This record gives sequence, structure tokens and C-alpha cells, in this order.
Amino acid sequence: MLRLEGAQLNYGSFRALDGITIHADPGELVVMLGANGAGKSSLFLAISGLRKLSRGNIWFKDQNIAGRKPSQIVQAGVVHCPEGRKLFPEMSVRKNLLLGAYVHRQDKKETQKILDQVFEMFPILHEKRNDAAGSLSGGQQQMVAIGRALMGRPEVLLLDEPSLGLAPLVVKQVLGVIKTINDNGTTVLLAEQNAYAALQIARRAYVIESGRIVMEGDRETLLNDERVRKAYIGA
Amino acid sequence: MNIFFQQLLNGLTLGSVYALVALGLTLVYGILHIPNFAHGALYMVGAYAAFYFVGTLGANYWVAMIGAAAVVALLAVLSDRLIFHRLKDAPPLHDMIAAIGLLLFLEACIQATWGAEFHRLAPPYPQIVRVFDLVAPAQRLIIIAAAFGLMLVLHLFLTRTLVGSTIIAMAQNREGASLVGIDATKVSILTFAISGALAAVAATLFSPINLIYPSMGHLVIMKAFVIIILGGMGSIPGAIVGGLVIGFAESFGAFYVSTNYKDIIAFALLVLILSLRPQGLFPSGAR
Ligand SMILES: Nc1ncnc2c1ncn2[C@@H]1O[C@H](COP(=O)(O)OP(=O)(O)OP(=O)(O)O)[C@@H](O)[C@H]1O
Ligand SMILES: [Mg+2]
Repeated sequence: MLRLEGAQLNYGSFRALDGITIHADPGELVVMLGANGAGKSSLFLAISGLRKLSRGNIWFKDQNIAGRKPSQIVQAGVVHCPEGRKLFPEMSVRKNLLLGAYVHRQDKKETQKILDQVFEMFPILHEKRNDAAGSLSGGQQQMVAIGRALMGRPEVLLLDEPSLGLAPLVVKQVLGVIKTINDNGTTVLLAEQNAYAALQIARRAYVIESGRIVMEGDRETLLNDERVRKAYIGA
Repeated sequence: MNIFFQQLLNGLTLGSVYALVALGLTLVYGILHIPNFAHGALYMVGAYAAFYFVGTLGANYWVAMIGAAAVVALLAVLSDRLIFHRLKDAPPLHDMIAAIGLLLFLEACIQATWGAEFHRLAPPYPQIVRVFDLVAPAQRLIIIAAAFGLMLVLHLFLTRTLVGSTIIAMAQNREGASLVGIDATKVSILTFAISGALAAVAATLFSPINLIYPSMGHLVIMKAFVIIILGGMGSIPGAIVGGLVIGFAESFGAFYVSTNYKDIIAFALLVLILSLRPQGLFPSGAR
């Protein structure tokens, strides 16, 4: 479904991604584990076209999307829900969600249908649909961000640390929603530092350090691995 | 009563012209975070364009206004594509220097073509309107009506249309806007076009009761900066309210204090308000 080959990304002379090769099969939920500064966000920014790779390919269903514009990548079906949410804080929740469907603006009917589904998934957003997005709590803003990404009709959804800064109970709720989205058929790539939480819902994960993949494995292997336990679970 | 009414009318006239200029400035600032010093030169070119269309080509006043808006919109878009866009990864200081360079360049071009002397745009509506014992020059009423009409159209465009909301989205979160597939280049072109058109309309409205000369944009742009600093950089309601505040302060100040101090009032107000409210009247958030 999505496959990166030898992805390399530089910020000036600093190499943030150093030959990343990963893949996600259709319908899979894959976790990218990594500490602060490991390169998770850079990886997602490269996939969604906001940063240009200096080397490597990004295959999405037999098309190489490396070098395409962000709007083309969203249109193709790869949607990025960014770290820090990046909402439009003074616009209403509803307008934020509708702008998520910007690339599908010709097809208002389907957009309305997905909007209803998003409101069904997050009843609180329906309640607050006319409030400014910036006035919501952190957890609710994260729901807007996820909802906005869903409005882009993702086949592959990139979620960058959706649990960051949320209370444990809210984290659980958000992870539940992500699981549901994945169960409904969307391929999900989830970046997390919190391995324990992320591996509750994922089968497979990569561990990224300093722009390189240092480990790959399924849930059991990683949860039992000494280094992973030390670095990402704190046990 | 009558004198008070005159000042009110003057204040509204000045304020609505200032607000139009400040709106263009604040829109560009909101999107690109550059203070476009060349905006005053766009205003000046707008006045000359209208003067050319009416005086040389004999066009109707409103046709000339549309023509001037089109010319200056194009000029603004060119300045973005040829100058500001190319500096997008450069330090902010480079944008400012480039803007000042553009200002000087446009002034020199105009001066080379029309000379440094004053020109006048023949007033299209020299009538005086009388209501009871109140009198008002028709042109002033036209300025106020046209400016507020245009602001309303702009407001509806920005809040009610999808294209308009791409501008607001880009101003509120650039990266978020790119991630939903909004094209930063298109938004930038559109914003510069609107900003140029607003400046040209302001100039065409104001010119029949004012003089046209190459450096006519200086004071206007300085005041527009005062307005958007007062109103909060990037804030649309701030630009309108700020424009009116400065317009009223000038007209009443000129009357009750002295005409000689008219142009100082805006800057005195800036110092005063900023020392009380350093974040401006509408701190970012009121967009
Ligand atoms: N715009 C930039 N310019 C220069 N260096 C950058 C830039 N963005 C990120 N970096 C650097 O690239 C490296 C990877 O950053 P990235 O944001 O991808 O990490 P991350 O895994 O998402 O971290 P976090 O968990 O903190 O979000 C870091 O060392 C960071 O300092
Ligand atoms: Mg990150």
C-alpha cells in the first residue's frame, strides 16, 4: 500500500532521515516508535510532500509520490494528521472539518456524508461544531485534527503523536478511535513515543533512531525486547 | 451641530480610505508575514492609473476605478511572483529591503512618466447633497458608501466562500492549510491581487478630493502601518476599526486642536495606545 525505499531527508547539512525503508500493507496499522528528534515527524512530512526527499522513493499503490505537491498527495489518498494538530484556531469546528475535504470540493454530497460520520464518531464535536476550534480542550482538538484528516478520505492515514499532551483517559479514547478507523479499512501509520499505548492497538512496529530504522518486529517481539522496554516503556 | 456633522463626515471619509489601504496591508501581512512597504506605492500607482484612464482615455469614473484595480492587482501579483516569493527562504529583513526598493522603483517610474508636479482627478460628482440643514459633498458620501460596500463584499468573500476561507486558513495555520491540500502559491497570488485592488480603489475614491503626486503614498502607508499595529497585525476587524479611529482622530483633531498637527495625531495615538496596550486593540486572534 505504502512503501518507502531509502528515503533520505536533509535540513541544510543535517540529515534527519538516513535511508529509511519501510512498508505498510493494505489495512495494516503500523507504529513508528522513536524518541524526541528521532525523525518521525520528518518522515511523515516527507510522505505528505511538505518536505522534499533528497533521495529515495515513496510508493503508494504503484505510483511514486515522492516529489508531488501536498495537494496531489492528499488527493491520491494519503492524509497526514500532523503533530501539534495544526488546526485553524479561530474557525469553527465545522469549518475546520469541511476544509479537510478541500481537495474533494467538487463532491459535496460525499463530503456531507463523511462529515456526518465524523460527528457520529465524535459526538462532542457535533455539540461544539460552531465553537472556535482553538477554544476546545486538547483532547477535543485532537479529535478535530483526526476528523479533519478523515474528511480528506484517506486510504493511508499518517497520525503523528496523537496522544501527545493528553490525559491518560483521553489517550485511551483516542487510541480506541484510531483502532476503529483502522478496523474500517484505513491503513494507518502511527508515530508514537509511548510504545506501551501504541502497541495495544498495533500488530507491527518500526523503531526509528537518528533517522534510521534500528528495529522492526511484531507486538510480542518488541514488548519483550530489553532495549525497547528500557527506552520506550520505562520498565 | 452642523460643524460636528462635517467633522464626522470628514472622519468617516478619511477612515474608510485608510481602512481600505490598511486591509490590503494586513491581509498580506497575515499570509506572508511581511510588512509590505511598497503598498503605499501601489496606492499611488492606483491614483495615476485612474487619472490616466479618466484624463487621457476619457473613461467613465467607475470604469477607471475597475481598470485601476485591475492594473494594480496585476502589479501586486507581479511583485509577489518576481520579488517576495523568491525571498521566501531569506531572512525577513530582505523582504523589507526589497519592499522599500520596489517603492522607490515605482515612484521613479511614475515620476519619469508624469513628472513630479501635482495632478487632479476631475471630480466625477461635484454636487453637494443637502438633507435638512446638513450639507455634504457627494464625493465624500460616495467614498464612504463604496468603501463600506467593498468591505462588506470582502467580508462575505472571506467568510462565506471556500476560496475566501483558503486565505483565512493560510493565515491561521500555514502548515495545516498545506496539509489539507490548499495551494500556498494560489493563496499568495490571490491575496496580493486583492490587496492591490483595494489600494487602487481607495486611491481612485480619494483622488477627486485630493492631489495626485509621486510621493502621495508615503503618509498614507505610514498611517496604514499605524492602523494595523493598533488593530493587531493581520487582524481584519482591527484594520477597519483602526482606520476609523485614525480617521476620526484626524478630523476632530484638525478641527479642535489645529490643522497643522493633523498628521501628527495618528502617530501620537500610536505611541499612546501602544504604551497602554502593547498588543494592539485586537491582539492576533481577532482575524
Ligand atoms: N526544520 C528543521 N530544520 C532543521 N532541523 C530540523 C527541522 N525539523 C526537524 N529538525 C531536526 O530533525 C531531527 C528530527 O526531527 P523530527 O521532528 O522529525 O523528530 P521527531 O521524531 O518527530 O521528534 P518528536 O518526538 O520530538 O516530535 C531533529 O534532530 C530535529 O532537531
Ligand atoms: Mg515529531
